[in-house]
Amino acid sequence: MVALARKTLIYEWRRFLPAILAVGFAGLLQLLQLALVLGIFGSTSLYITGSSGDVWVGYPGTQSVGSGRTIDPNVEARILMDPAVLRVEPYIWVDGDWRGAKETGGVSVFVSGIDPSADGLMFSKALAPALRTRLAEPDAIVVDRSAVEQLGISIGQTATINGHSVHVVGISSGLRALGGVNVLCSLDTARRLDTDVEDSGPTYLVAKIRHPNQANVVAQRLRGDQSFGPYTAWSAREFARLSVLYWLFDTGAGAGVLFLAGIVFLVGAVITSQTLIAAVNGSVREYATLNALGVGVAALRRVVLEQAFWVGALGLLGASVLGVALLMLARSQDVPVVLNVPAALACIILVMGLAAVSGLAAMRSLRRADPATLLR
Amino acid sequence: MSTAIATKPSHSPALRAEGVCKAFVSGKQRTQVLDRLDLSIEPAELTLISGPSGCGKSTLLAVLSGLQKVDAGRVLALGSELGQLDPRALERFRLQHTGFVFQGFNLFPALSALEQVELPLSHMGLSREEARRRARESLEEVGLAHRMRLRPAELSGGEKQRVAIARALAKQPELLFADEPTSALDAANGQIIIDILHRIATTHGTTVLCVSHDPRLVVHADRVLAMEDGRILSDRRNHASVADSHGTSS
Repeated sequence: MVALARKTLIYEWRRFLPAILAVGFAGLLQLLQLALVLGIFGSTSLYITGSSGDVWVGYPGTQSVGSGRTIDPNVEARILMDPAVLRVEPYIWVDGDWRGAKETGGVSVFVSGIDPSADGLMFSKALAPALRTRLAEPDAIVVDRSAVEQLGISIGQTATINGHSVHVVGISSGLRALGGVNVLCSLDTARRLDTDVEDSGPTYLVAKIRHPNQANVVAQRLRGDQSFGPYTAWSAREFARLSVLYWLFDTGAGAGVLFLAGIVFLVGAVITSQTLIAAVNGSVREYATLNALGVGVAALRRVVLEQAFWVGALGLLGASVLGVALLMLARSQDVPVVLNVPAALACIILVMGLAAVSGLAAMRSLRRADPATLLR
Repeated sequence: MSTAIATKPSHSPALRAEGVCKAFVSGKQRTQVLDRLDLSIEPAELTLISGPSGCGKSTLLAVLSGLQKVDAGRVLALGSELGQLDPRALERFRLQHTGFVFQGFNLFPALSALEQVELPLSHMGLSREEARRRARESLEEVGLAHRMRLRPAELSGGEKQRVAIARALAKQPELLFADEPTSALDAANGQIIIDILHRIATTHGTTVLCVSHDPRLVVHADRVLAMEDGRILSDRRNHASVADSHGTSS
């Protein structure tokens, strides 16, 4: 079989280039948008995904990690009574007002009070062990590399949070927060920084359980008891999902992503289908001649669809190369970007779907390839 | 294809039109292009339909080749009534039995001469080797053995039309339709094309039906039908041209 679709694509590449670029940029836009959204909103669950707690206990109705309320400190004993639980560790979240050494104005910070011992659960995956032990020092804090400029501070310098003096003992990486700056300190330091007199217990209790795959069951079991005041429990996975979804929908970003995906698809499909239609129209007499010679319309449609497929594949290839390069650049600049397999698959489906829709649109103009029109 | 020829009695016409009518409607204007036309085209001959433009000769070709349906009457091609075939069966009929040569050469810019000829063959279910072999033979027959690898942009108008003829010829059709095959060409190239068409009729036994208003072709045809206003005005055989054309082509 003569490879008409491919040979035409190569020989008349200038004709097909706009379609390839349209498909490529549609794919690239979608890819970067998804990676950014996943990166940015993924950081809202960093407190959970960066820690090794399996079950989280907090105030009922909590919608995201950042909007917790304190629970009764005695809940800890109740959690420990569950036979599945190995360890429980308090986690204190304090919203703070930062006043740096330089003139930075007020900066909103999220203070995370954690257990600084070497086997602590909180941020066990995100915080280097050396930095963690340094937090045991009173009023010691660790800030993220991405926030150093924003806070106007460097290692060894002092600043105040909620009017209390703190000093920076280390700079971490990968702890970028959304809507503020993460500051890590010990539980004791966090209690001192909390100015709210009503707060008495921890914001959360983080538990390690014997069989992490039973987190859902354990969380459900812990939920029933109200004897120590209001609290509830989630598996870490569930709570992380809750936090990301809250941010996605609270900020309207979720709708934005879908909206932009629709626009990208539409614009890409319009440009691509117009290019393919022009290509079909440019060869309509040749197609009509083939039809006169008995080559069926179905076979001609396959040629057009095959061209659309190659346009999609080439666009995808370009988008992948550029996308990987841009994502690497973003990573090196501490821009939160995350790309996982479902997101990459979504992009591939979008791009190939766009090419397919355009091919189908172009196929319609084959109807003009009526051989009788050649006899005029 | 050879079996189709064998089963067909040699004396019966390859194409027959019986009381064929065809009209075109544009707005409120109705133009009767073919008016109760009867016609038989014999096999292994080059039949030329000539006449002024607008006389209906291209419409007659479209109707006889099954590219257009008739309003009334019937068309028999190789014993099949074309009006009875659905569009897919018509495509199949054309694939198996007919070749076309158009005024514009209609070659794909991306393909070499050899690929142009191979393309329809590969849709006929021939093996790659068989398609390649037939394509070469046909291109050799039209005198393009040395130009097979070239694309249309590298070929002259006459050469392009010869590629188009080879494309039709390689299918080994019983019926070959040509619409104004020489009007885009100069005298010398037009002469080459008409000689090739005539040779195809005599050596392959193909029914060649050619429509043209080019007066130079008249002397080369075996039979000339003059058309005007949708009717055949005259029908004459041109015995001298057969010998003539044999002389020039050998």
